[in-house]
Amino acid sequence: MNTISVRRKWEPYLWLLPSVLLMTVFVIFPILIVFKLSFSEISKAGVVGRFIGLENFRAAIADRAFAGVMLNTLYWVVSVVGISTLIGFIVAMTLNTRFRGRKIARSIVIFPWATSLVIQASIWNYIINFEYGNLNNVLLNLGFLKDAINWRASYQIEFIWECGVGIFVTVPFVTFCVLAGLQSIDDAYYEAATVDGAGFWKKLTLVTLPLVRPSLTVSTVLNIIYVFNSFPIIYTITKGAPANRTDTMVTYLYMLAFYDQRKGPATALSVIGFVLLCVVAGLYMMISMRKDEI
Amino acid sequence: MKKVAALILAILITVSCIGFAAAEGDITLDVIICQYGNNTTNWFTGTGINGKSFVQLFEEANPGVKLNLEVVSWNDVYTEVSTRISNGNAPDILNIDTFADYATEGLLLPVKDYCPEALYNDFFPSFIAQSVIDDTVWAVPDLASARAMYYNTDIFTEVGIEVPTTWAELEDACLAIKDFYNGEVYPWGLDMTTDEGQAAFSYYAWNNNGGFVDDSGNWALNSDANVEAVKFAVGLYQNGYTNPRPATQTRYDLQDMFGAGKLAMVITTNQLPTYLKEKNYTVNFGTAALPHNEGAASGATGVMDRVMAFKDDAYPDQAARNEAIGKFLTFFYSPEMYTGWVSMEGFLPAVSSAVSFLVAADPSFEAWLSVLDSCKFYPTAKAEWIDVKQGVINVEQNALLGGDVKALLDELQAKVAK
Repeated sequence: MNTISVRRKWEPYLWLLPSVLLMTVFVIFPILIVFKLSFSEISKAGVVGRFIGLENFRAAIADRAFAGVMLNTLYWVVSVVGISTLIGFIVAMTLNTRFRGRKIARSIVIFPWATSLVIQASIWNYIINFEYGNLNNVLLNLGFLKDAINWRASYQIEFIWECGVGIFVTVPFVTFCVLAGLQSIDDAYYEAATVDGAGFWKKLTLVTLPLVRPSLTVSTVLNIIYVFNSFPIIYTITKGAPANRTDTMVTYLYMLAFYDQRKGPATALSVIGFVLLCVVAGLYMMISMRKDEI
Repeated sequence: MKKVAALILAILITVSCIGFAAAEGDITLDVIICQYGNNTTNWFTGTGINGKSFVQLFEEANPGVKLNLEVVSWNDVYTEVSTRISNGNAPDILNIDTFADYATEGLLLPVKDYCPEALYNDFFPSFIAQSVIDDTVWAVPDLASARAMYYNTDIFTEVGIEVPTTWAELEDACLAIKDFYNGEVYPWGLDMTTDEGQAAFSYYAWNNNGGFVDDSGNWALNSDANVEAVKFAVGLYQNGYTNPRPATQTRYDLQDMFGAGKLAMVITTNQLPTYLKEKNYTVNFGTAALPHNEGAASGATGVMDRVMAFKDDAYPDQAARNEAIGKFLTFFYSPEMYTGWVSMEGFLPAVSSAVSFLVAADPSFEAWLSVLDSCKFYPTAKAEWIDVKQGVINVEQNALLGGDVKALLDELQAKVAK
């Protein structure tokens, strides 16, 4: 083996080394520590004590808020990922057609994604505020309303608003993933389909969908992870109140760790969340890849 | 050329990791201060004291002691402190509200180890008594605030009602205001958020002869008086007398509504006038004692924060470290520094030497100081306090959703007394 081929063989690893090191220090190492902590006794002040097996997991699951929080998390992930994927797909199809001002429309779509989530959530907080919110003001001034409406009348409605904000900020990401996929489709496929007499729906289901599936898979898997771990929207709008009714797993475990000072159960919950995410994302990828092979 | 640049970069990174070691013989104290308001950071580390910072002035006056002082927001301070403790990197001096967990886990130094006697004797004895566990004082008070009821005088004149002193009068006043303004003005402010719902519990329980603990200091959360108190507070919400979302509208939201004339009455801290002035609100208001139940004594709520010193067994010269901590405290509580600090955010002092200075500058302080004398404080010296604090908030929020107050408080009591 000559020196050049040795270099070729090792060079990629050399270039990857910095990011591997960073990942190890800032991602893998902390994950391992959390796993270790989840089996340890942690005092309220934060002192890490002895190994206590599954006690933290038992305490976390036994908490009366746990079941409701898990259900909220399910609603949150399914509705935000599902609806934003649907809307994002439609927006991408629209932006992929030729029309005047398409570039401007594309940059407008990316705005919600380019703004920080805390700012987004705070602005929505103002918009739907009952006492001085913009939504009431606009509707009252336009004459659509006679009296101001309390847009946050119950926690169920507040949670729906939170899902709505989640969808609003997630749509651009889906749109641009799908748009990238759409642009890589050769026009010849559509021309051939037209010649064969296919209409809009046939082209959509038989040409477009199969060809953008890889981009959709990527955007969905990433979105499941992002949305599951999303913290700022719920924390800014309701902080999980009243009594954990609007908490998802991530906001709940934060409150558990840093408000209730119950760090043991909180680390156990984050381990449960991590495993859940791995399973869900893994399953989704396996299923969609198997379809690709057919 | 690129190789040279890479080498330089690598060296720079390594050097910056090592950090800058202090000059030999110097002691550097890690200090964490909570951010009380917009001026805190500037006062401690910026240019808030005649163009200089507290740190600068301290280091000039105390050669050999350096401060690594960080101002942290209340939202982050618990996270930061517990993370630092978990990593074996606790601060030397910490300013926060709670201390019991740190003390019972053996992380704190007793105050007598580092606090000079003259300074120790300057603290109000009733304040010092709030930081005692097992006959040892573990922290010193840094400042206090007292709660009072504020009411919008214009609204009261317009509706033609008297300021309520009892719960029955309060309900009548709420009804009158609600009817008069047809819902445009909320009669009563209620904050049962995770930020400060425990204060709401105290406002009602302490004004119904209830409270967190019984006469012998044991948890008594499910007493009949407490059940009645929480039911009364939640009843105000259910009758439509309060702001619409007590579980998510914080004290600051209420203060803003009060400033804007949308809220007729609110219980909040003695800093409200400072807050309203800073935000340019021009509402006319008066203060009164918190309304109490018929036949029960009126109880004021006081809130106190603390300064404490953590152990550092690895430090070679413990005596020098203790002395440095003492120097920090002595400098902080000196009238020149301390009166500026307390009055800047509108707080009440914790040392008697500051009183005459503060009253001279603002005669209205006198009234608050007498309120402070009769204040009750949270039982923060009990190790279960954090559970109780979060627990009563959870009870309140569940009660707002229609939960059974008695059952919720029974459950909390059983959990805490275990």
